[in-house]
Amino acid sequence: MLTPGPMLLRGVDRAAFATAFARRLRTAGLPVPPTAVQAFTAALDAAPVRTTAQLYWVSRTTLVRRHPEIETFDAVFAAVFGAGQDGEAPGRRRQTPSGRAGPDGAWTSVPARATAGEQAGGGLPWITRPTPTAGDDEPGTGHPVPDPLPSALEALADTGFPELDEEQLAMVGAWIEAALPRWPVRPGRRRRAHPAGRRAALRATLAAARRTGWEPVRLVRTRPTTRHRRVLVLCDVSRSMQPTTTAYLHLMRAAALRTPTEVFAFGTRLTRLTAVLAHRSAPRAVQLATDAVEDRFGGTRIATTIESLLRSRHGSALRAATVVIASDGWDTDPPERLERAMRRLRRRAHAVLWVNPRAAAPGYAPTAGGMAAALPHCDALLPGHSLRALLAVVDAITLAG
Amino acid sequence: MTPAFGDPDEVRRRLDEADYLTDDGLATAVHLALRLGLPLLLEGEPGVGKTSAAKALAEILGAPLVRLQCYEGLTVGEAVYEWNYQRQLLAIRLAEARGDRLADADLFTAEFLQERALLRCVRHRGPTPPVLLIDEIDRADDEFEALLLEFLGEGSVTVPELGTFTAARPPVVVLTSNRSRDLHDALRRRCLYHWIEFPRPDRAAAILRRRVPGASRALIAAATEFVGEARRLDLDKVPGMAETINWVAALGVLGVAELVPEAIERTLGALAKTPDDRELMLGSLGGPQRC
Repeated sequence: MLTPGPMLLRGVDRAAFATAFARRLRTAGLPVPPTAVQAFTAALDAAPVRTTAQLYWVSRTTLVRRHPEIETFDAVFAAVFGAGQDGEAPGRRRQTPSGRAGPDGAWTSVPARATAGEQAGGGLPWITRPTPTAGDDEPGTGHPVPDPLPSALEALADTGFPELDEEQLAMVGAWIEAALPRWPVRPGRRRRAHPAGRRAALRATLAAARRTGWEPVRLVRTRPTTRHRRVLVLCDVSRSMQPTTTAYLHLMRAAALRTPTEVFAFGTRLTRLTAVLAHRSAPRAVQLATDAVEDRFGGTRIATTIESLLRSRHGSALRAATVVIASDGWDTDPPERLERAMRRLRRRAHAVLWVNPRAAAPGYAPTAGGMAAALPHCDALLPGHSLRALLAVVDAITLAG
Repeated sequence: MTPAFGDPDEVRRRLDEADYLTDDGLATAVHLALRLGLPLLLEGEPGVGKTSAAKALAEILGAPLVRLQCYEGLTVGEAVYEWNYQRQLLAIRLAEARGDRLADADLFTAEFLQERALLRCVRHRGPTPPVLLIDEIDRADDEFEALLLEFLGEGSVTVPELGTFTAARPPVVVLTSNRSRDLHDALRRRCLYHWIEFPRPDRAAAILRRRVPGASRALIAAATEFVGEARRLDLDKVPGMAETINWVAALGVLGVAELVPEAIERTLGALAKTPDDRELMLGSLGGPQRC
């Protein structure tokens, strides 16, 4: 079959072949539109296929439209046409860890890097949704440079939150509040005057023309403004998360004060903290938030919480928002339920980040039932156990913007 | 002056005549809004009849309905007024050609003013003031809310170049919101507020009978019960009254007399708006089981 020279698919009804293959891909969860099948059929005619590798590229070029689909396509291709000479589908560079390829194949693995931890989330050896941009492979491109830490905090930067005392935590809180100008933005629909704008503002132009004897000498141009993207933070306040919760509350307060951030705490149910966290004094706000949560020691029900969030009126606030879930992933709900809830959440939100303080422990693997189920629907899993890690979380939130 | 109704019951009766069945709460809210001349802020789940309330109100008042659909970035130019810049520029050229001297007052006159929804309501000359529906205010941004305050509070609109226009007869203003965003207190403060509940089954059936006259009582009862059950499920998009009306109408178009599983499956697109919801409704509410 692989001998060069004779044509592959000689005498095969190309249309029927293309349709059948497209159907296999659709069964595997790949959206293959009829136009792609048509293109594939035409491509088989246009580019004579002699090897499996050629067939691979012809079919992939025509049938796959998105980067995340490649993984599934590779699997189907290997199943249908067998592996290439090197035991792998041609063009295949990524390793699929066993048992992780989901039914819709909408994620790929993020290979472990030697510099794990250097780049927010990207360096972790487990699977989340792929980075949306293809050219984002080099770590550090477009990455906001973190502000240098004050020296008093420098020493604390890598200390885990559980080891910090009250005073140090307050210092961290104050610093976070001061250092938060970076926050995700999205294009807004309002416009403001800018010389490099592309649209003429007639009102402003005419107003300016008043000064020049009604001769519109200066054309005022406008360009769109940016607005803060809404960020929704869901913070686990169960006992297992207690040491880190206070630090997270500080971060969330800093964010809620100046951006459209919604903050929720959850244990067994959801408590909205946005209002109480807006208190002027940080320690008081954190204290109020702690008091507002009544289910601190009742276990964790992440799936139930997310479902109730989706159902509540804040469900529509999720649209186009960045969602940050801070939890260790220990869930008393069945993983299938969490998987379904996360899928719904991901569909509605702009990006989903999971912050897990346990992820920093050496040898950590996201095997806890809930964590493993949720991970394929997260854009990144971040440790967030220390101040430096928390800064990486802020950067990740901004990057997801 | 506003055409007054005697009491909330009369409002309800008149709304009833306009095919809008309502309860005491909304009838009272409408009555008060008319009597007090205050804007009415209606909130409620999607599809519960907020927009149709305003339409029915315009109908019973015999007033024109002016609708302003909100969206982010709505500005003065789209909501209140705009100058006709092209004509202004032409007027400038014309004056130049004639050798006239142009003053501010020559260019910023009513002749060059283009009315948008708010200004049109304020300058309305007719026997009855218009009903202004500011729809889905939660979709607009804070800046637009701030823009509305003068209008909602004083019933007036200011055009800096011309002055302040105050309505001879203040328009009846209805705002609707889906609560996707918290509205500013300043806005809420200027409005009467009513939360429209989803109607109880008997009222829902009555609404359906009115809106879909062709449907049989048995079908409407079955459909109401089905929707009631569906609303208890964990759905992405809970069906509202509008969807129910569409659904019963769809059943009517297909000539369905009895709510059998096949009929449900064929028409469920009017009720279930995501594949998950469709599956869930079919799976748990007696639709034919699918593989």
